[in-house]
Amino acid sequence: MSAPQLDDLDRQLIEVLARDARVSNRKIAGDLGVTEGTVRGRIKRLQQEGLIAFTAITSFGLTSSAKMAFIGIQADVESVREVAAQIAEIPPINALMITMGRFNILAFCLFDTLETLIELTSDKILAIPGVHHVETSIAVKTMKYNARVVRITEKGGPVDDEE
Amino acid sequence: MGDNFSVDDIDLAIVEQLRINGRATNQQIANNLGLTAATVSTRIRRMEDADKLRVVAVSDFSAHGYNVLMELAIEVDGRPASEVAAELAEFPEVFAAHLVTGRYDIDMLVVLRDFSDLPDLLLDKFSKVRGIRSMMPAIAVDVLKYQFDVAPLEARSQQ
Repeated sequence: MSAPQLDDLDRQLIEVLARDARVSNRKIAGDLGVTEGTVRGRIKRLQQEGLIAFTAITSFGLTSSAKMAFIGIQADVESVREVAAQIAEIPPINALMITMGRFNILAFCLFDTLETLIELTSDKILAIPGVHHVETSIAVKTMKYNARVVRITEKGGPVDDEE
Repeated sequence: MGDNFSVDDIDLAIVEQLRINGRATNQQIANNLGLTAATVSTRIRRMEDADKLRVVAVSDFSAHGYNVLMELAIEVDGRPASEVAAELAEFPEVFAAHLVTGRYDIDMLVVLRDFSDLPDLLLDKFSKVRGIRSMMPAIAVDVLKYQFDVAPLEARSQQ
């Protein structure tokens, strides 16, 4: 992967927008001493290159289930991509990666009750052909969580068309 | 936390619009949902003021020069796991640290600029933290989905 070329202005923009994405281009331009056109163009480029995305982050339990679990999965090596893609489609799964380690798929999910978690892991995931073993561990306390820096898996997104 | 903050269907619909495009104007959201821009603005502010919502730019690991993502499970021995986790959370490479049930006691997401940073991080930094019995890394070779848009939110004043 080639490293993206970011200059100081890009980094300042990312920092400002990571605090509040709803600041107007005009205000950002004023604060950083550049033109609105520059701000608009930079934001568009960063979005198109998949380096930033604008979204809403909500606290646990506001719009979704309040607890998190880590699901480690051992799947057939030769079909790991297909199996991983199938699991990623299941709605409560909010993150999934193929890994090298004690599991070859690692998934994260949000859940409300142990029944819904068991249904997800034992009924849905374990029933997928190619899945051999599932281990779940529940997050009981969060010590650190940076939701601002992520892997953006879908490039682009709605482009900022603010006048 | 024990607060009585509640949201209705309109709030949820606004949040859904913001998840799709956090930079959508109040007017655009209002048009999509059949509301007024003033209503949209008021409702967003109410959720933000209660520290239940942040509308932000998230940035890719690569924008910060991080090219390796790793999950690290840690087994603790002879020290409270919360103390070990708190100490590990101080490292900037640690993006998430949770106390978990099961075979291991702490589960972390760790990022690196390069694989060559791994020995230094594991052998010189993390291993100096007292109470770690074993570390089990899993290196992400492909990330299919990554939607951590639900998270503990800090108060505005801490930003």
